[in-house]
Amino acid sequence: MTGQDTGGLLALDVKQDIRLEGPLLRIVDVSKDFEGVRALDHVSFSVEAAKIKALIGPNGAGKTSLLNVINGLLPSDGGHVYFDGQDLVGMKTDRIAMMGLSRTFQLIRLFTVNNATVLDNVLIGAHRKVRPTLPGALFFRGRTAKEETLLREKAIELLRFVGLEWAADVQPGALSFGNQRLVELARALMGEPRLLLLDEPASGLNDAEVERFIRLLSAIRTRGITVLLVEHNMKLVMDASDDIVVIDFGRWVAEGDPAAICANPAVIEAYLGSHCAEGDSAG
Amino acid sequence: MNEFSHLIQFFFSGLTTGSVYALMAVSLVIVYKVSLLICFAQGEFFVIGALTMVTLTSKGLPMPAAFVLSIILSTAVGALVERVLIRRIRDMSVGNLIVMTIAISLALRGLALLIWGKESAVSPPFTPGKPIHVLGATLQPQVLWIIGVTILVLFLIWFFFEKTKAGIAMRACAENRLGASLMGISTQKVALFAWAWGSGIGALAGMVVAPLLFIQYGSGVMPMVKGFIAMSIGGLESIAGAVITGFLLGLVESYTIGLISSQFSDTIVFTILLFVLVFKPSGLFGASRSREV
Amino acid sequence: MRHIQRYWWLLVLALIALYPPTLGGMSPYRSGVLIFVGIYVILAVSLDLLMGLAGLISVGHAAFFAIGAYASGILTAKYGTSPLFALLMGMLLSGGVAWAVGRPVLALKEYYLAMATLALNEIIVTLIIGLQWLTGGASGLRDIPAFSLLGFPFDNPIHYYYVVWAIVFLVVLASLGVARSPFGRTLIAIHSDETAAKTFGIDCARYKGRVYILSALYASVAGSLFAHYMGFLAPDDFSVLTSINILVMLFLGGIGTIYGPALGAIFLKLLPEFTYQFQDYELLLNGIILIVVLVFMPKGLFGILMSLKDRLIGTRAT
Repeated sequence: MTGQDTGGLLALDVKQDIRLEGPLLRIVDVSKDFEGVRALDHVSFSVEAAKIKALIGPNGAGKTSLLNVINGLLPSDGGHVYFDGQDLVGMKTDRIAMMGLSRTFQLIRLFTVNNATVLDNVLIGAHRKVRPTLPGALFFRGRTAKEETLLREKAIELLRFVGLEWAADVQPGALSFGNQRLVELARALMGEPRLLLLDEPASGLNDAEVERFIRLLSAIRTRGITVLLVEHNMKLVMDASDDIVVIDFGRWVAEGDPAAICANPAVIEAYLGSHCAEGDSAG
Repeated sequence: MNEFSHLIQFFFSGLTTGSVYALMAVSLVIVYKVSLLICFAQGEFFVIGALTMVTLTSKGLPMPAAFVLSIILSTAVGALVERVLIRRIRDMSVGNLIVMTIAISLALRGLALLIWGKESAVSPPFTPGKPIHVLGATLQPQVLWIIGVTILVLFLIWFFFEKTKAGIAMRACAENRLGASLMGISTQKVALFAWAWGSGIGALAGMVVAPLLFIQYGSGVMPMVKGFIAMSIGGLESIAGAVITGFLLGLVESYTIGLISSQFSDTIVFTILLFVLVFKPSGLFGASRSREV
Repeated sequence: MRHIQRYWWLLVLALIALYPPTLGGMSPYRSGVLIFVGIYVILAVSLDLLMGLAGLISVGHAAFFAIGAYASGILTAKYGTSPLFALLMGMLLSGGVAWAVGRPVLALKEYYLAMATLALNEIIVTLIIGLQWLTGGASGLRDIPAFSLLGFPFDNPIHYYYVVWAIVFLVVLASLGVARSPFGRTLIAIHSDETAAKTFGIDCARYKGRVYILSALYASVAGSLFAHYMGFLAPDDFSVLTSINILVMLFLGGIGTIYGPALGAIFLKLLPEFTYQFQDYELLLNGIILIVVLVFMPKGLFGILMSLKDRLIGTRAT
């Protein structure tokens, strides 16, 4: 099953950085204040390459803020974010993206102006690999057209991977929330990222869709892409992630594999409740 | 003594135009605070108020009556515009809203053109009188009216927004729309009121300066633009900022025309605007908003 | 974007339709009107790249129209350069101003951007009026020679019409190409959600700057063509009111479609020909048209035509 799902991803050329020792992403002492509220308080953890790490915690714990800091959308008030050894703090978002970070959003942010289609959205995700130029649009039409054909093939492959190749020419607004999230995923993968940041991708998905998503994530990891996943859906978290980090009130609370987190009394009491009673943890 | 009297002269003309700019800026700020809309059509109320007053006085109506009727008419038009058009398009994108108010200004200006034609009109002064001489400079008595009315309007605004229930309700609405509506304040009535205020003050600005200028259908554009400039520099949501900057703008303009060059005064003013927009878009008195993600 | 790809033949049709014999004979007067129309088509289409595609509000597009016009006018009338050289100089100047002003200004949000573009327009116009010795000031610039290529003057409006519309054709074609290219797609991303666009590596400032310069270049060309047709320039033709007129054409035709604004320009510039006795109503009419379009038909004339076409013929399958 994993093999089938990876099919679409074979079109992606993800750099496997074997020379790198240590974690791909290292959050060190990151803090963020919002007008007197401490959204993030000296948070530290790491994400190993080609692994799926889940970031969980109650609402308002600061999870999305942390993603925004990693992404460069939110300036931090202290700390470092090391990606492949380089500190991302202070870097502009587009530069960070060019280094190989990609993300999806909690509130779906697909491009809809001027009747943009699902395919258009996925193609835009390719920006990191093929940067469009104005001379290319005006003068070098032949070359641009060739590149475009290749990109389109790849985009359709990715849509096939998430099961939406039928929706290529549809406008995102016409799709269900669940499908829109999948489009966001395909778009994020198009740029062949090394690190994928997912912000509550399962929100709005039914059980069958969540199962599907778990398989997609597994295929993504097999391809060598690292994932940092913010999620509330505990089934997804327990089944899909290799590693979990818990934060609350902006502070690091616990970290470990799913079994360890389930066994952690502080986490259970504050947050997990019944999910761990089911004894559900895949590695 | 001649040099000095010139400077005094510039001061008075600066104060005059400054009052107009201050009034226009204030009217724009009030509308913006409540509706988060910058009304490009404000200049047209300037014209409507002035020309209505001219027409009424030329038909023999005594000045006070003409004055009051003109304000009522302009305010009514403003309220009508809000009720019929603005309310409907509240959910539009900001870009479309901007274009909408531009469209309204075109329509109102076109209407003014049809009603009053292309000729300029001069209004009789509020009170007849000879020019006053102050420190070697000449002062039209109308200028005293202008400054007087401006101060009165500012006082009324202060009183309304600080002391009356309706005014406080409007301020609440401007701060927090949802909260205000949850407290039973009708946001729609507030918006209507804001527009009425805005158009009324805009008309007042036109009426009060009409005796000193030739006003025609297109005369509202520049005062509105200058009002914008004052508003942008003074801070989009600050009434005090609008007033101070309006007067400053009038004075700067007047001294620039008088001392530096009359040909490039506008160039200088607009360049200042450009610089302010680029370097401190929330204006000199506005708070910097933190970036939203 | 799909629409544009399939219906470019409409453009060819429009051009054939405009071929003089089918209009019942060409007169210098008719050519003149159509030259005007053509110039405004260029202006509207160039603004569509900026506002429709990239979502950047400009209430001062006439600034670049003015720069092109006066560059051509001054260089040919006062210094006797060739019109082609003057046109290129105008483009250089327009592009330069757009480049210089673009970076800081395009980062501004909506209202601030609108005001900044308005300010730029006013600055250019007041400079033109103020620098009387160069531009003729408020009384205008006279004796601009007709456009000529390689020594051949196009002083006959009927001949000039072909030159102008050849350029219109090129500009519209190029703009369509930009709109459906990856570059155009990137602009749409920036237009839709700039923050999200950044997370895909898009350097928004760079793309905004590029399209601003492109639209300025086109507007400049329109200005040069205008100067050589009129033979005379007055600052009044380049005020914010002109910029607003272009905006009306943009929305009337259907913003973002390239074809739409062209249609809007044609409509608004031909309409006075049939209703000139109602000239005084033009201002009011423009306002009402814009209001109606914004509230009831946001897709503009082009949108209406497309809906009609879909209903009559049915959408073509992919």
